[in-house]
Formats: sequence, structure tokens, C-alpha cells
Amino acid sequence: MTWRLSVEHVTTYSYSGDVLASYNEARITPTRDQGQFVLDHRVHVTPHVPIFQYVDYWGTEVCSFDVTAPHRRLVITGRSLVETASAHPIPDSGLAWDTLRAESTRDAFYEFLTSSAFVRCDDARVVRAAAELAAGDPTVAVRRVGEWTREQLTYEPGATDVSTTASGALDLGRGVCQDFVHVAIAVLRTCGIPARYASGYLHPDEDAGIGDSVTGQSHAWLEAWLGWWYPVDPTSGAPVDARHVLVARGRDYGDVTPLKGVFHGPPDPSVDVRVAIERVA
Amino acid sequence: MRVVGDLLDGYRIGTGWDEMLEPSHQPRTHYRMLFEQIQTLSRADFDERCGMRDRVFSDRGVTFAFSGEEERPFPLDLVPRIISAAEWEIVERGVGQRVLALERFLADVYGAGEIMRDRVVPRRLVVTSKHFHRAVAGVEPAGGVRVHVAGIDLVRDGNGRLCVLEDNVRTPSGISYVVENRRAMTHVFPELFASHRVRPVSDYPSQLLEALCAATPAGVSEPTVVVLTPGVHNAAYFEHSFLAGQMGVELVEGRDLVCRDNRVFMRTTAGDEQVDVVYRRVDDEYLDPLHFRGDSMLGCVGLVNAARAGNVAIANFVGNGVADDKAIYPYVPAMIDYYLGERPVLDNVETYDLDDTDVRAWALDHVDRLVWKPVDGSGGQGLVIGPQAADAQLAKLATAVDANPRAWIAQSPVALSTAPTYVDGAMGPRHLDLRPFALHDGERVWVVPGGLTRVALPEGSLVVNSSQGGGSKDTWVLARLIDDAVVVDEEDVADPAPPLLTRQPPDPGPSPGHQAAQQQQ
Amino acid sequence: MLARIAESLYWIGRYTERAESTARILDVYSHSVLEDRRGEEESACVRLLDALGAGDAAATIGTEVDALIAFVVDDPRYPGSIAHSLEAAWVNARGAREAISSEMWESINTTHATLTARRGGSAFARHSLLGWARDRAAIVAGLADASMSHDDGWRFIVLGRTLERVDMTVRLLSTRLGDAWGTDGWVAMLRSCAAYEAYLRTYRRGVIGTRAVEFLLLDRLFPRSAFHALSAAESVLYDLDPGPGRRGTASEARRLVGRACAELEFVRADELEASLPTQLGRLEQAGTEAHIAIADRFFHASTAIRWSA
Repeated sequence: MTWRLSVEHVTTYSYSGDVLASYNEARITPTRDQGQFVLDHRVHVTPHVPIFQYVDYWGTEVCSFDVTAPHRRLVITGRSLVETASAHPIPDSGLAWDTLRAESTRDAFYEFLTSSAFVRCDDARVVRAAAELAAGDPTVAVRRVGEWTREQLTYEPGATDVSTTASGALDLGRGVCQDFVHVAIAVLRTCGIPARYASGYLHPDEDAGIGDSVTGQSHAWLEAWLGWWYPVDPTSGAPVDARHVLVARGRDYGDVTPLKGVFHGPPDPSVDVRVAIERVA
Repeated sequence: MRVVGDLLDGYRIGTGWDEMLEPSHQPRTHYRMLFEQIQTLSRADFDERCGMRDRVFSDRGVTFAFSGEEERPFPLDLVPRIISAAEWEIVERGVGQRVLALERFLADVYGAGEIMRDRVVPRRLVVTSKHFHRAVAGVEPAGGVRVHVAGIDLVRDGNGRLCVLEDNVRTPSGISYVVENRRAMTHVFPELFASHRVRPVSDYPSQLLEALCAATPAGVSEPTVVVLTPGVHNAAYFEHSFLAGQMGVELVEGRDLVCRDNRVFMRTTAGDEQVDVVYRRVDDEYLDPLHFRGDSMLGCVGLVNAARAGNVAIANFVGNGVADDKAIYPYVPAMIDYYLGERPVLDNVETYDLDDTDVRAWALDHVDRLVWKPVDGSGGQGLVIGPQAADAQLAKLATAVDANPRAWIAQSPVALSTAPTYVDGAMGPRHLDLRPFALHDGERVWVVPGGLTRVALPEGSLVVNSSQGGGSKDTWVLARLIDDAVVVDEEDVADPAPPLLTRQPPDPGPSPGHQAAQQQQ
Repeated sequence: MLARIAESLYWIGRYTERAESTARILDVYSHSVLEDRRGEEESACVRLLDALGAGDAAATIGTEVDALIAFVVDDPRYPGSIAHSLEAAWVNARGAREAISSEMWESINTTHATLTARRGGSAFARHSLLGWARDRAAIVAGLADASMSHDDGWRFIVLGRTLERVDMTVRLLSTRLGDAWGTDGWVAMLRSCAAYEAYLRTYRRGVIGTRAVEFLLLDRLFPRSAFHALSAAESVLYDLDPGPGRRGTASEARRLVGRACAELEFVRADELEASLPTQLGRLEQAGTEAHIAIADRFFHASTAIRWSA
């Protein structure tokens, strides 16, 4: 079953003085694949500037813009109307380990089988877990990795920040969805299962009625390759379904950062992020 | 010719290939004239010419900053290196072929990735290259050209065959020294030029400008070109300034440029002027704080997106480093076959991909017989020559290779050719290489006739890089001869000079003798 | 042309002129004191240092001629020192090499190299350095005029040079305020501007204070007179930016310089000495404001930016 969701994502930067110039890239546009249809999408910036769009290496749509007039507030608003995909049930068995470990597979998915900026596959805990969990079918392994991750980490906002790595999260034993995903990806990759980071939005209420606008969240989950890219939510363990709106994919958080840029002005702005989601059908 | 000097008397070649002498110690055909002419000079004569060369260079401010040291005059050995016309034709074809293959490779890896899908080049090598810049994936460079300037380093093996040692397609440097060396030589040894037909190199800057203008974004008829330099403290600043001056374009630093709405402007006294082509001598990592190093003060924010939007051409394009990554080098012959359907005109030096476990094991077994190069080294740094290295050094090397095999390649040693070089008052054989420079304008590849010959000055040394204290020679490509008449390329022929008008000598003014005569009356 | 290059050329003009003038002033001063030690050295020394913007240092230097020369030639504490000016000119030239002729560059480069070698020498060496520095700076200025096209690049050099001349003349004349001076003092003053012979050829009579002031401020033909320098600056500013102005302040510099020029043009010669403090004050202010207006109009801020993420 699919849902039709309206999402509004507003990010506001407030500076203590004039910013003379800023150059930015936003990755907040829902993708148009994996069964997800984008019926409408707009990105708007205040101060008003033209926006240039392109698709990056990972297939994510990027909105780039520069603001070269002095300003003290920068507001980036993304509004979309998306028809989300229904969940794929996990198959009981699928790919064999032999196929995954074949040289051609390993070469084709190399970037999703090795360490990246936030994910170290040589962390001793990751190596141990991979050795244990890789028994049986690869699909079984995927499920077990999710379970193991939820055993290692308690969901707690504020314990970590955007720069925390998988190893850092394991040190703390706590984190948010970003950290759950990094840890799970680390183990999956070490098992030999290509795994990539997926980011987007989540409607929090599975029983949502039509017309209620609720506070949604930016959310992260992962996709594991088992012959096709299969979405998995290691934070909740629940299926990735119509409540998930997919925006970007990459090796880790570094590749999907929703807003990145440089500016010339007083440092450390205050940032306010609001996501509102409404089920319209 | 009367043999006066004894400069070449003690010149003995070893078993390797010498540029000037055959194993019988007779000069090769194309060196015969030079061989005779050098012998008409005494050592004092030669020293005098060396002094003249030093003066020419210091007056013109031709300098180079060796690593960690102050700027010094660029070292030029006065014995030219001569290449026959026939051999040069092979070099031209080989270098041109190589550049075109590398262009196709770059367009492919930043586009559809077919060569990786077809498993001709392992994807893992491409995506783990430090210079594979995902920020320019999917970008169509202006004019379709990524490699506007290439420096393909060539060496001669023990059999005298030229082969490719290394490709340089990021910011190859040295062309300014090629031009300055030639200029100095014409001052110091005019008689040698009179007896040889040497093809000129001085039109490189105008050819470069044409190639840059051909790479302009569509619709711009008179493009504004700039040379982007890191500034006066950069070791190659002389070259940046030289090229900008010779092309007649502005030399800018990052702070002179600003991007707005995906267009690039330079700050002038009359306001901001749009820039169409940036010939940048700043490395990728420092070029755009938005996509690369955020702490760089040398680049211009937004430059990459301006190129993506098709509003500016960047020469050489961003991300070329994956093509001259030393670990990719072994696959270039395969690229030539895959993209061009040809066999390589110039061979690679035998190189081993250490990421392959079996190959690595074999190479480490023969650690003292191979030459080891760090993939990220430049200017010869970190190079380990197995046959010359101490055991402790080799042990350290083996550990490093095992720890990170992707960071190393191993090559069979090449016995670089030698040529007579004047060191400490005597002519002795010294090893050398050759860096021809090629320009690509989107339609054809033009190779400068000549190039930078780099010489390792210490006897027996194989390290020729300028930053490690090497020297250079003027490189002469002789014009073709058909039936004893010189065949000169159309480009080389100047228009015949108009006839001179008879002129009067300048007005000498009032004659002093005239006044003196008056006084005496 | 590039704003950064224009700014470098402007400063080459200023620094070269500053080095030349300072060297000349000091050369004249030291010779006049040595020739005629009448006990006025102390106040003259203090006034000189004051005029050169180094009044604070007077106490530590004392009144010995040698100490004074050492200070003005290359004391690192003094930003207006001859060594500093020549060094700064060289730094600017290095970054703007493509905009100046190779001869001009070689001259600046050689001057810098020689200066580095000659610094910190004996008292005698420093004395001879003054004449040398004056001559080298004059060579550079001459090469600028003869081996550069008189285009915008050259105009910025001239702009720097002329505004610096006005500044120097004002400083020199300010040492004379509030004092009756003998002929010798005025002769020294005129020599400090290389104006002595020109003055004699103009007035054909002895040196009198009122006429010297008139000559140095109002003469239309002598290059170091304030009036001549200001009108040269105005003319160059006009060539650089003839239009009525793009952003309203475009001709601000020209307005300031032109007004200062006009004020001098129409002042009465007999009023001049009485109103000297006012005149000098006005000229100083005009120079400062014009300098700011020029930077604003032509140079922008072209410092490299450190970006925050």
C-alpha cells in the first residue's frame, strides 16, 4: 500500500552579524526511483536567489545556490508531494554467499563493501560481530545484523552529534538513527554484503489519518544488496514502507548531508530545523 | 674541423644506451655534427659559455625554488639533447595516442563507467584513487576537453626504445624552462644553431592560448582567459607568470575571482568582468572550498558548479588525477585498445599492480630488484630503487607495502639512457628522461617539438626530477630532410621579410669640432 | 585591470616616492647640520621626526645625526623608513610583475637585493646609502615613465606618486610652523624638495620665507609643488574614470583632489603665510580622504577570504 505524503522541510540559519557571502548545496529532494513517485517538489530560499539543480555521483538531486548580498538569516524550504513505495517483504532466501563473494560483485560494489569516512570496517567489535552474524543465508544475516545493532545501541538523542562515527557510537552505546545505520553498515560490509546509507523523512504515525499535519523527522536507514537494493531500518527494526520518503543515498552521512556550504561571516550560527509531514492520500 | 679541445676525450659510455655515442664510440648520425663541433672548444671556451648562460638567466629572472631552498637560476646543461626527425614522428604519434586514450578514460569514469563495467579496469582502483573526485561526476566540460595540457614522461630502455614512464595530466609544469632554455642556447651557442635545423618551440604559448580558446563554453566568441596561480610563493610561479605574459592574459590569484550565480568574475578596477576560461595551476584539493578543502585560500568558491553549469571552462579539468594515478598507469595500454582499437605506439615500463595478492607476493620476493614508487609521490619523493637501497630501507618498504598495497607500485628498473653532460669541468655521461608537452584542443593533439629533458646530475643517479636537484638540457628535434633539402612544417615557416628601404644615418647634431675651430680664430 | 594589480601599482608609486623624498630630506638635513652646527639641532631633529610621523621616537634617538639617520634609514620600529618603503615597493612589484616592464622590475629587484646586502652598515655607509636610495628610486620612477605605456597601470603609479608628494610637502612645511626662520633654514627646506635651483631660476632673488612657501605650495610648473602634484593627480583620476560615475561615489576622489587644487589655485599669495596652518591642514585632510576614496572606488577588498563551514 502506498501513501501520498506532503512534506515540508524548513531549515533556518540565524547569524549574529552580517554574512557577506554564502555558497550552499541542499540535498532535500525526494528521489524518483525505488518505486517512489515525486508528484511535485520545490525548493525555495530566502533571501530569494536562483537555484541550480543537478544530480550527484550517488544519484541524489542537489540544489545549489549562492547568496552574495549581506544577510543575517538564511531560510531553505523544501516542499514535496510524494507517492511512497510500499514495503518489500524480506524474502526467506535469495542470494548465495558465493555470488556475493565473487570478484565481479565485489568489484562492482567496492565502495559499499569498504570503510568510509564514518564507517570503519576494521573496528575489532565490528569484525567480531561480522564473524558471528554471517552464518546462514545472507538475508538471515541482514536481519541478525539489525537485531545486533539494536542490542549495542540505545536510542537517545543528544548523546552523539552529526560528526559521530560508527566506532564512536559503539563507544557510547547510544545514538540516533544516523548512528544505528553507520554501525549496521559497518557490520554488513564486513560480512561481505554491500550496504549503503539512505536518508529521507519518516512519518511517525503508522495509523495516520488523512489531513493531519504532524511533526515528522529527518530519518536514516540503510539498503543492503541481495541481488537488489533492499531497504532496512536498523533503528526500529520495522519494515521500510510507505511512511519512509527516500531523499539521498551514499556511503555514509558525509555523502547525503542535507545542507552543506561555506559562508563568510560570524561563525556558529544557530540552526532551526522543522519537518512537517501530512498524509494527503 | 680542427679538434682543439679535449672535452670529449675522457667520455666513456657503459653498457647502457648513450644518446650521442654508439657502442663503438662513434657518434650516432644525428649527433655527428654536434660531436665534431664540441671538439673545437677548449674547456676554457666552454666555461666562458657557461658564464654567459648564467648571466642570461639571471637577467631574465629564470629561477626555480628547489624543495626547501631559495630560488636559484634553473640549471641548464649546455650540451643539447638531439632527437632525429624520424624518431620524433613516433613520439608525436605515441603521445597523441596516449592523450586521446586518457581523455576517453576520464570521460568514461566520470560518466557511464563502461570500462569498469566491462572489467577492463578494476573499479576498485578508480574509486580508491585519491584524485577520483565525485564532485565532477556527470559534468560535461566545456568543449568536451579535460586534458588541455599533458606532460608524458618518456625514458629509453637498455635497447634504446623510448617508452612511457609516467603520465601527467593534472598540472604538468616545465614548459617555460623549455622556452627559456632554447632562448639561452641561441645566445650562448649561435654557431650550433647555424649548423643544425632545429624545430622551434617558441610558439607554445600561442598554441596554448588557441587550445584554451577552443575549449570555451558555447556561444562565447572572444573568451576571457585567465591563468590562476597560487601566488608568488609557489615554486613554479615563474612559469605561471611567463605563460600569462606570453599569452597576453591576466594572471590572477584566487582572491581576484568571485562566483555569482554559477558564473566566474574577476575583480577589476572597472567592476567585475566575466571569465570564460580558467587555466588553473592550483591543485584540485585547493580549487573550490565548497567541494574540496574548506580551508583553502587559493581557490574560488563555486568554481566547480560554474563549470557544471557550462559557464566556465577549467583547464586542465577537475579530477584528471585518476588518469595519472600510478596504479592506473599499468592499464593505459588496455585503454588504448578499448577506446581507440589500436596497439600502443609507445610501450609502458613493466609495472605491477600490488593490490593483487599473488603479484604483491612475487614483487616482495624480488624487493631488491624492482623500483618502488608511492602512488601519491611527486617529484621523485619516496622513490626506492631496489638494487641501490639498503636492507633496512627495503624492510621498511615491505612493511609499508603490506600495510597499504594500494599506495604503491613496483616497476622493473629501466636503465635510463645517458648523454654527455658538463659537470665539474668535464664531460661525463648522465642519465636523462624526456617530458614532451602536448596540447589538446578537442580536435587534435599538438606536441611541442622538443620538450624538457631532465638530467640527473650526480654520476650514476637515476633521479632526474628538478625538485630533487636535477638539471636540464635543451632538446632539439631536427627538421625532416628529404633528398638533402630541409622539409619544414608549414607552421614553422615565417613569411619572407619585406625588402629593406635604404635609410639615412641618424642626425648627428651640431659638430663639436666646428665650434672649436671658431674659438681658435 | 585587476583591482589587486592596480592597488599594487598605486603603492609602488607611493613607496618609491616616499623612499626618494625621505632619503633626500635626510641627506639635506644631515649635511646642513654638519656644515653649520649652531645648536639648533635638537629642535630641528625633533621637528623633523615629528614631520615624518616618528615624533614618539625622538626621546630615544637623541639628537646625534648618526642616530637619526640610522633610525630613518632602517629602524624596524619606524614604518616610514627608507628600507621599509623600498622593501614594500619590491613586494608589490613581485605580485604585479606582468604589469610593469621587465626593466622596471629588474631595477626594483636589484635595488632590493643591494639594500638587503647594505643594511646595518657603518655610519659612513648609511650616509652614502641616502644618496644611493634617492637615485635608485628616481631610476625606478623614470623607468615607469619611459618603459610603460601611459595606460591605466601607469596612471595608478602616478596617482600614488603625486599623492605621496603632496603628503611629503605638507609634512616638510609643517616643520616651519610657528617659527621665524633664517635664510639657511629655507634653503635647506627647498633643497629637501630638490627645489632650490628651480626656485632661484623662478624668483631670481634671494630666498625669503614667504616666497618659498608660495613656491612649494602654488607653483604651477615645479613637480613637487602641492598644486602641481594635485593637478597631476586630478588629471590622472579623470583619465581613469572619465564618466559621471557609476555608483554615485565614482568621482569622489576626483572631487576631493579637484577641490583641494582649486582652493590652492585661488588663494591670495599674501594671505598664504598667515593662513599656512589652515592650508596645510586642508591639504592633509584632502590627501587622506582622497586615498580612502581611491581605495573604495578602484581596489575593493581583494584579500583572500577564510570560509566558515
